[in-house]
Amino acid sequence: MGMQGDFLQLLKEQGYTLGASTAVGTGHALTNATTILAFKYRDGVLVAGDRRATAGNMVMYDRTDKVLEIDRHSVMAIAGVPATAYEMVRVLEHSFKYYRRTQLQELSFDGKLRAVSKLLKENVPAALAGTGAVVPVFAGYDMEQGSAKIYFYDILGAEFEAVEYAVSGSGSPTIRGILHYQNTWGEQPLSALPEEQAMVQALRLLASAAEFDSATGGVNREASLYPVIKLITGAGVQTVPDATMKPLYESQVVRYV
Amino acid sequence: MYEEPYRWVEAVGNRRQYLDEQFKQGSPVVALSYDGGILLTTVSKGTPKLYEIYDRLALGGMGHPTDLEKIRFSLLEMAHVEGFNRSPSDVTGSRLVKYGIAPVIKQAFEEVYKAPFIVRILVAELGQKPEKDALLTINYDGTFEETTGRAVLAATPAVQTKMMSYLKEQQPAPLSLEQALDLALRAWAIGSLAHQQDEADQQAEAKPQTSNAASSAAAIPSSDTLIAHVRSIAGERTIECAILERQAPGSSKYRSLKQMDLSRLLPAALQSVVAN
Repeated sequence: MGMQGDFLQLLKEQGYTLGASTAVGTGHALTNATTILAFKYRDGVLVAGDRRATAGNMVMYDRTDKVLEIDRHSVMAIAGVPATAYEMVRVLEHSFKYYRRTQLQELSFDGKLRAVSKLLKENVPAALAGTGAVVPVFAGYDMEQGSAKIYFYDILGAEFEAVEYAVSGSGSPTIRGILHYQNTWGEQPLSALPEEQAMVQALRLLASAAEFDSATGGVNREASLYPVIKLITGAGVQTVPDATMKPLYESQVVRYV
Repeated sequence: MYEEPYRWVEAVGNRRQYLDEQFKQGSPVVALSYDGGILLTTVSKGTPKLYEIYDRLALGGMGHPTDLEKIRFSLLEMAHVEGFNRSPSDVTGSRLVKYGIAPVIKQAFEEVYKAPFIVRILVAELGQKPEKDALLTINYDGTFEETTGRAVLAATPAVQTKMMSYLKEQQPAPLSLEQALDLALRAWAIGSLAHQQDEADQQAEAKPQTSNAASSAAAIPSSDTLIAHVRSIAGERTIECAILERQAPGSSKYRSLKQMDLSRLLPAALQSVVAN
């Protein structure tokens, strides 16, 4: 009965492997070209990401969704190689569902974190080869404890709990400083921000990242392209619609100098 | 000795008799379409009989709890592996039943050296559109049937027919969830009463021919009588309800109805049963 409810184990029995090393890798210049961020606000946790996908200096796609809902109460934001990241999200999504349906109880929040770690660990060969490095931020609402939580990982699967915020991707150095400054000397700490202000904050942070990082996509109003923002509260994950972001962006983010 | 064809046929016949006997104490299961999806209901004792299988698939069962668990795990494995390797929309009830679980049940039934599965199962599938909804039932010998709108599991084919014809007769389309729940429980009561009647007939044993005829010909009891029967049984058991809800947020459409939902949805005469 030991491994009951373990979907990854079930897949492996069927011959599945995640992140087999594909030799090539000499280049260790990993392009984590993106910006993702998560911070706790008054009602829960906000997770946001830009929508640009790049390959070298080429923009591949401007409508990527890097903030992915894994279940009703957890979200994974991905930076790194999208192919591997999406695969991991698919495995996680099925793992959590499979656990819940077989064991007739929700997988605990710690159990979910462990599942993310395990996947990253399995992926180490590919990550080191340079073909599959993923640096995710995992955020969710721990229903048992009634609190929002944020964790970030390195490519080897080490898990770190973020007290207030976490960032990842190539644009993250820019906004990490801003987050620290805001949270320490701003009018109010991030964790006290009401929903609307939290959204404005996220839009401003992503705009800053886009300003200094060519691989982070900003807002493209002509094409109605806004970042992806998800809010996780005790009631579940909620995706902020473009119609909500548009007025916020226009009134509180754009500055006509 | 089973190598002789005659012996084998005899052994399978015995097995059928043995299995039929196992379901007599069982609680019927009713599945019914309503305007927002599909409702499954039964009255269970101890172990639950309704389960979630996949995003749009639910399972209801009668029989031995351990066998039902085995079947449930096989279905879950098949559904999730398929949903991962292909896509969630490729996981259909009809494929799972016809090519997945029914052959396994049939094989176990015919391997007379081994124990058969003591189960009758019902798989409900919520289609992308209401006209794609499907209800599949599998008997202990692996025979499966696919229907729409309504399906039942009961101890004998006669009882099943009785319940089905009651559902057909009473069902104005489309039902709200409250109406569906009320009707489903009345149909359940018909099945449950018929099981009790069969049991009583068997014990009386005096004139099985005439009493059988009398019980099957007996008029369908009134709605109040049926609800009163559910009430009398539900006191020491649990009314179990699950729905596949078309409008549910997210990909998983299955939801089992909690006490709170039930006290709102159940017919007035039954609300006190859930309350305590």
